[in-house]
This record gives sequence, C-alpha cells and structure tokens, in this order.
Amino acid sequence: MIGVISYLVFFTTVAAILSIAVLGLNLQWGNTGLFNGGVVASFGAGAYGTLILGGAPQESHFGGFGLAYPLALLGGMIFAGLLAWVVGVLTLRLRHDYLAIATFGVAVAFENVARNAIWLTGGAQGVRGFERPLRAELGDGFLYNLIFLVAVLIALWLVFLFLQRLTVSPFGRMLRAIREDETAARSLGKAPDRVRLTAFVTGSVIMGLSGGLYGTFYAFISPQDVLPILTFQIWAMLIVGGAGNNAGAIFGTFLIWGAWTFSGWALARFAPIEAQLYTGSIQFVLIGFVIVGMLLWRPQGLFPERLVVSQPGANRDKPQAEGLT
Amino acid sequence: MRKSFYVAAFALGVASLGSEAQAQDCTIKVGAALPTSVDWGRPIAEVAQFAVDQVNDAGGAAGCQIEMVLRDTQVDPKVGVDAAKALVDLEGVNVLLGAVSSGVSMPILNSVTVPGGVMQMSCCSSSTAFTKLAADGKTNGLWYRTFATTAVQSAMGAKVAADQGWKTVAVLYKNDDWGQDMARLIEADFAAAGVTVTGSVAINDAQPSYRAEVTDALGGQPEALYLALYPTEGTSAVREWLSLGGTQNMILANSLKSDEFRENVGLQYLGNAFGTDTASPRVESADAFRAAYQERFGSEPNGPGLANSYDAAMITLLAMEAAGKDASGADIAAAVAKVTDPNGIPVSADTAGFTAAKSVLAGGGTVMYQGATGNVRFDANGDVSAPAVVWSFTDEGTQEVEYVSLEDVDAFIESLK
Repeated sequence: MIGVISYLVFFTTVAAILSIAVLGLNLQWGNTGLFNGGVVASFGAGAYGTLILGGAPQESHFGGFGLAYPLALLGGMIFAGLLAWVVGVLTLRLRHDYLAIATFGVAVAFENVARNAIWLTGGAQGVRGFERPLRAELGDGFLYNLIFLVAVLIALWLVFLFLQRLTVSPFGRMLRAIREDETAARSLGKAPDRVRLTAFVTGSVIMGLSGGLYGTFYAFISPQDVLPILTFQIWAMLIVGGAGNNAGAIFGTFLIWGAWTFSGWALARFAPIEAQLYTGSIQFVLIGFVIVGMLLWRPQGLFPERLVVSQPGANRDKPQAEGLT
Repeated sequence: MRKSFYVAAFALGVASLGSEAQAQDCTIKVGAALPTSVDWGRPIAEVAQFAVDQVNDAGGAAGCQIEMVLRDTQVDPKVGVDAAKALVDLEGVNVLLGAVSSGVSMPILNSVTVPGGVMQMSCCSSSTAFTKLAADGKTNGLWYRTFATTAVQSAMGAKVAADQGWKTVAVLYKNDDWGQDMARLIEADFAAAGVTVTGSVAINDAQPSYRAEVTDALGGQPEALYLALYPTEGTSAVREWLSLGGTQNMILANSLKSDEFRENVGLQYLGNAFGTDTASPRVESADAFRAAYQERFGSEPNGPGLANSYDAAMITLLAMEAAGKDASGADIAAAVAKVTDPNGIPVSADTAGFTAAKSVLAGGGTVMYQGATGNVRFDANGDVSAPAVVWSFTDEGTQEVEYVSLEDVDAFIESLK
C-alpha cells in the first residue's frame, strides 16, 4: 500500500510538472493560435537555466553559480523568456505551419547546442552538480517527494489561476480575436504582432517553469530530455484534453501521461511472457491509436473550449457558446 | 497465461531439482528497465532474461525462483524513471537492472534507486559522470555497472595503432555521452602513445549521409581511422569513407563487433580492421557463456552490450544468493564483493557455475565470477576493469588477434599517464 501511494505521489508530480508546460502551450495555441513546434526549447531553457544557476561549480562545464533555489528557478524562467523573445521577434511573422517548422528548427538547434557545447552544458553527459533544494533537511525519501509534490501543485494552481484570469480579461479576448481574424483585430486598432509576441513569451516562460521543476525533480538534465518526442507528447496532451480549455489541458496531461505509463505497467504485468520483449513497441502503437482516434472522433478534445463574454459588468463565468473553436 | 508459466517453471524446478523443491514455492522479483522498443535494446533485455532462466534452472537464487519484470524505457528519461519507480514501488523490487543510456540511468539513480535504497546495476551506461557521483559519495554504494570499456577501449585502441605503426589517426565518434567520452580519452591516450589524432569528428544518429563528416576527417590525411560508432551509423560512415578513398586501416570499438556491420560493409574491406574489447579470462569455463548463448539464440553473442547485460544480470543474481533471503537492496549491493572476489573460488557463467556458486556461498566462502566480459572486478565506485582482447573479422564472425591480460592492461594504461 505504501508502495502504491509512493508511486502515485511520484506520478502526480511528473504529471503536474508536464501540466504546467501544457498550460503554457494552451496559452500559445489554444488561445492565440500560435503553432509552437518547439516546446522543448523553452522547457529545456528553463531546466538548463535552473540547474546551471543553482548547481555547485563544476570544472567540466560552465555554471555552478550555486544561487538560492528560487533565484535559480526564476533565472531559468527568464532565460526561457529571453530565448522565446528572440525567437518570437524573428519568427512570429510566420503563420501556422511555417511557424511550426521554424520553431521546431529552433528546438532541434537547442538540443544540438546542448549536446555539442560541452563547455557550456556538459554535452551529452548533461548538467551535473545540482542538489535538490532542502534535501539536507528533508532527506530524499517519501517525505521529500510529498513536499515536492505540494510545491509543484501550488505552482500548477498559480499558473492555472493566472491563465484563467487572463482568458476572461480583455487581453484574453484580444488573443482570441487575433486567433480568429487578425485583420479584423487590426482594423479595431489592436497591434497583433505585439500581442502575439507577448503571448508567445508568456507561454514560454510558463514552459520554462515546467522545465525548471522537471530538472529539479530529477536533479539532472541532459540532451536526452529535450528530444522532439517531448514536444509531441505535450501536443498530444493538449489536443486530447481540449485546446483552449485550461482545465482540459490539465486533464489531458494526466490522461495521456497516465496512459503512457499505465500501458507500460499493464503490458509488463499482463502480457504473455513471450511477448514481454515487444511490449515497448506495442505501447507505442497503442498510444498512436489513442491520439489518432481522438483526432478522428473528437477533434475538439475532451473538454472543448468554452467561449465567455468578458465585458465588464456581464456575468463572466456564464458560457455563451460551447464547442466553438 | 502467466499463471501457467509459473506452474510450468515450478514444475520444471521440481522435476530437475527434486531436492530443492521445497524451497521453490516463492518468487523474488527483479526489475529491469531497458529500451526494448529500440532495435539494439531488445537483445540486451533478451540476454538478461536468459541469465535469469539459467539461474532458475539452477534452482533460483536466495531460495526462490526469480522473475524478471521488464519495463521499456523508450530511451526517454521520463518514461525510464517512471518505469523504475513503478518497479520499485509497485512490484517491490530490491534490485534494478538498467538502464542503457546514461541519460536515463542518471535520473533513475538520483530520484529512484538511491532514495529508495535499491541496488542499480547497469549493463551499458558509460558516462564518467557516474564515477564522479560515486566518488562524491552520492550513490551510497548502490550503483554498479559492467561496462568496463571506455578507458580500456581507448587505451587498447592506442596500443593497436602503436603496434601497427600507424602514426596518424582520424576519429569518428557517436555524438552521445559514450562517444564524447571516447573521443576525449582517445585524444589523450593516442597522444601519450605517440600517435597523432588528425581530426575528431562527431557523427549524429540517423543521418542519411555522413559525407560532410567523413570529408572533414579525411582532410588530415590520416594513416588509419578509429571508429567509436554503433553498427548502423558505422556502416554508413565507413562506406562513405571507403568510397572517398579513405584508408582501410581501421580500429574499431567493441560496439562494432557485430555481424550486421561486417556484412553490410563487406569483409573484403575489413582485412586491415582491428577491434578491441574486454575479454574473458583464459580458463576453460570462459567459453560457457558463448556456447550457451549459441545454443539458445543460434548466433554468436555479437552486438553492443550483450555480454555486459548478461554479466549485470548474473552478478546481481549471485549477489542476491550471497545476501540470502529477505535481503535489502543495500545488503545485496554489499554482497557483490563476495561474488567478484579475486581470491574466491572461480565459477563459470552458466547454470552449472551458478549451482557451484550456491554451494560455495552456502559454506561461507566467496566466489570469483568469470563472466562473459571477463573476470569482472568492481572498484569502490562501482566501475569495472577486465582483461582485453584485440580481434578481427572472419567469414564466420570474429577471431582473436591478441589477448591482453588484466595486469598488462593496467600496466599499459599506467604507461600512458
């Protein structure tokens, strides 16, 4: 029983960390319509930033500034934001698939820099010398994981609240206006380019927070953590959960990550012994089926976007139309 | 299905070893987190299961039958760590075999096995970062790996180059932690042996062509080429190398000791190619693994990590036997020294060897496991050293060119410093 609880705490921690990244993507894609194919670049920037700033000095690579943990995490987020700002200024004039390709390229470039710039990132061996905060006080057993989970859930809750407020604010309405018809938004005197950049950078900072927490939890980050598969996973979570719906994004994360890990567990436990070697491949096929099925039969996701009227004075939470995207 | 398997395994145990039958009504789980969804990962898992089967044929370990619970890591750190955590928490394993990539093994070690007091034995993680971590006292003695080859491999490469009289060598290396380590060590070792490295070029996985990289390496006009690559990329790179007029003088890391590489490049181009590997000791029992493997799988155990994976599983199971029933992960980790004791009684790597080891350990003795990668011996950081061999390709597989004993390996590495 203790084992089950311990595992659930662990699972929830990882799922909650990934949820934060999915929320960041939801701001970019769900609300603003920015097709970010380079989620891992922001995620990785946050993780590398946090670990390099917060780790102990290393002779083999740059960094190890040993900053207090909150500063290191903040630094990772700022780094993710700066990277997103540079990328955004260069690429946000692109639309849809062009933007996706450009941002995907940035993510691949990020991974390659992490892999090859050994002096900076430790190369393929990853960043070393990072200690989980408060490890000395709490040990690193179940108690630590529990407290870490609470911290992650608080972070998730804050991000969720922030985005919920943002969505119903006039700014959120402007994001949707730009998503639906940029020319019309421009005709009303809005500045789509600046707003898109703001949304892109904000979403990336949130992904950076997710990456920072991820690196903290494992006390390690290497180029293997920032492969394109992560972008794919985060997109799958958002699509299944429902783009444009923050609660759906979180639900989708738990569902997909749960399916991803549970299928592995179930296959290891119940598959016949001679098929054990192939469960890894079977698992990939199953996950592919879930995503394709979702796209075929419920493309708006499990929790479709709920459009709200965000005029001052109106009842903010009252849904006006459902299922519109 | 599973139940019938237990029944079958149980019946087998009863039938073959009647006297130990009363001890067989229990099962101990061993965790394995290996990348079974990757082409080269599946044989690594297969050979670990093979070792478990052999041990079960010998009546199991610590008085129980052994069940290996295998989880796929997908070479994804998140998935691997989750699999390891599930194995520890849900299956209750005390020992974990894996992972293959250092980038997966490291977060497992940091966040699952060390906090959970579980022994972790990797077949193939080569990163020097583990040595540093262990030296800093952060692994609590729970970490071992049977991958001896980074330091030995590069030193033996230097020896081959020096022996063959090749003065200039270009290096192509796999662009991951293992390859980057190799490139760094080779640079130092070759220079110490008086061989100039004209160029060291990283090879990224899964590129359609390596023309640019190979041209770069050819630029220094080397007399020989060192390849620290896996078979797929190795084949592509060598084909381009030869078609651009590169030399056939080659030194190969043990990862290229594969039939796939030999067949796809063509034996006629590999006449002057010398590989290095860690070796079995020169005793009769050392062929046990090779013979048993051939009987089971119908081919030579050639391929990255196979021998290492077998030894990782076997040493773990021996240590479980030595630690006895209901031992914790730390107890089992501590018992590894008892089964890899240089002064112990030698045991071979097969069912008979395990049976022999059981009686020695039951009598309070220690054993020296003579495994598939050799006379395995761990140092304080969980790193392993072993004798080495220089090999070349033949029609059937590989043949030994030169055997270098553990003392000679140590002496040669010392001479390079």
